[in-house]
Amino acid sequence: MTAVLDSPTTPVSSIGAPRLLAGVAEHGRVDHARHLLLHGAPVLRRRSWLVAATRDVNLLGRGGGAFPVTAKLAAMPSGRDVAVLLNGSEGEPASRKDRVLMTCAPHLVIDGALVVADALGTANVTIVVHDAAAHDSLVHAVAERTDATVVRVVRAADGGFVGGEIRAVVNGLATGRAVPGGRRVLPHVSGVDGLPTFGSNVETFAHLALLGRMGVAEYARTGSTAEPGTSLLTVLGDAPVRGVVEVPNGTPLSVLLPATTAPVLVGGYHGTWRRDVDGLTVDRAALRAAGSPLGAGVIARPHPGTCVVDEVVRVARWLAAESAGQCGPCFFGLPAIADDLAALAAGAGADRAASAHRRLALVRGRGACAHPDGSAAFVGSALDALADELAVHQHHGRCGRPASTVLPTPEEGTR
Amino acid sequence: MSTIDVDWTRCDAHGLCSRLLPERITLDEWGFPVVDGRELPDDLVRAARSAALACPALALRVGSHDAG
Repeated sequence: MTAVLDSPTTPVSSIGAPRLLAGVAEHGRVDHARHLLLHGAPVLRRRSWLVAATRDVNLLGRGGGAFPVTAKLAAMPSGRDVAVLLNGSEGEPASRKDRVLMTCAPHLVIDGALVVADALGTANVTIVVHDAAAHDSLVHAVAERTDATVVRVVRAADGGFVGGEIRAVVNGLATGRAVPGGRRVLPHVSGVDGLPTFGSNVETFAHLALLGRMGVAEYARTGSTAEPGTSLLTVLGDAPVRGVVEVPNGTPLSVLLPATTAPVLVGGYHGTWRRDVDGLTVDRAALRAAGSPLGAGVIARPHPGTCVVDEVVRVARWLAAESAGQCGPCFFGLPAIADDLAALAAGAGADRAASAHRRLALVRGRGACAHPDGSAAFVGSALDALADELAVHQHHGRCGRPASTVLPTPEEGTR
Repeated sequence: MSTIDVDWTRCDAHGLCSRLLPERITLDEWGFPVVDGRELPDDLVRAARSAALACPALALRVGSHDAG
């Protein structure tokens, strides 16, 4: 089923000149010699410079939360031991952009780690990665150069979807079990080794490397005024260009998904279904305001003639099974919601829809991590965006189309 | 300025909190507390602290919201 993404090499492309993925389309993995030709050595900057520059280019975290990097940097205490954590666990099942980045452009990620570590005055630098190829590429990259001996690359056990959240990654390093804690202790207060930790997604660090190297003006030469620079997206399903795509921020989603008539999933499995992408661009603040946060950058559109309802039911069941089982409303609520959805797909009426909506309200905000809320967003938006398809199912008990299989739902242990 | 916080990783749906503070805590269909998130008026703070102390799982906390 997900032939494109399950193949060993995810297609890689760009709209406009690639930055993070420079040289990848032509050469594959960018080794250290080629990296030096393309980007030069990392340009180290003072912390105050980084705080100002990340503010000026409005750099937002690329793991899904889109938190302003400048605020995260400014929140780090000075004058005491701190740690730097690069999250490359890529728990989002449909996303491939982080493993592509780490596999093909590992030196840019490492440069970013060195830039931040130097600015914060620490030698405590950890990259956590699950994917085997990405891990091997990073380990090889550290060995290819002499300036990265402080960088520790850790292969994390598969923590599933919820294990990818940065607080879960911190717990995984400390205890071997990547689940979020019950109290919301943020990494900048207590993270790796109990130290205040600057933690972010690996793509964020690659951008920090580019920003340090280019400076604000050059960095802002592409992208939009609101959000300069580029973004890595994973595009699945009915789209002319699939796989991992680097795009300038501000790119209209209609460029990626021309002539949209089918529903679109924006942001991944904690994202939202929409009827169209009219007027939407790759702009994290604008997408959030439009009710469709970009998340980890997944954009998916089922193929024409396939049943989206069945696919949503399958993913809803998968999301329910991905609950870490720590929090009751998530553990009991998500399976109940998936059952409601399955019943609707089989022709149940308005009472079952009401049940789904009531239970969605019961899981939102009632867990230790973003999983219940994100899953509720996925299902709740599907109920709205797929109203026409659900009406067909209600009348006929099904729609007669083959189920869409655009969204991967990996079995445990196969991720 | 007090509010009730639930540590969802600890809560085991014992339900005592809802009995001790029915004004602010009801139970959902699975027995987990649904907490009215508004600030507690002074006359309920005492009952809220009792509910927090009575929780067998130590999952409830009555605290000032901005320190949360």
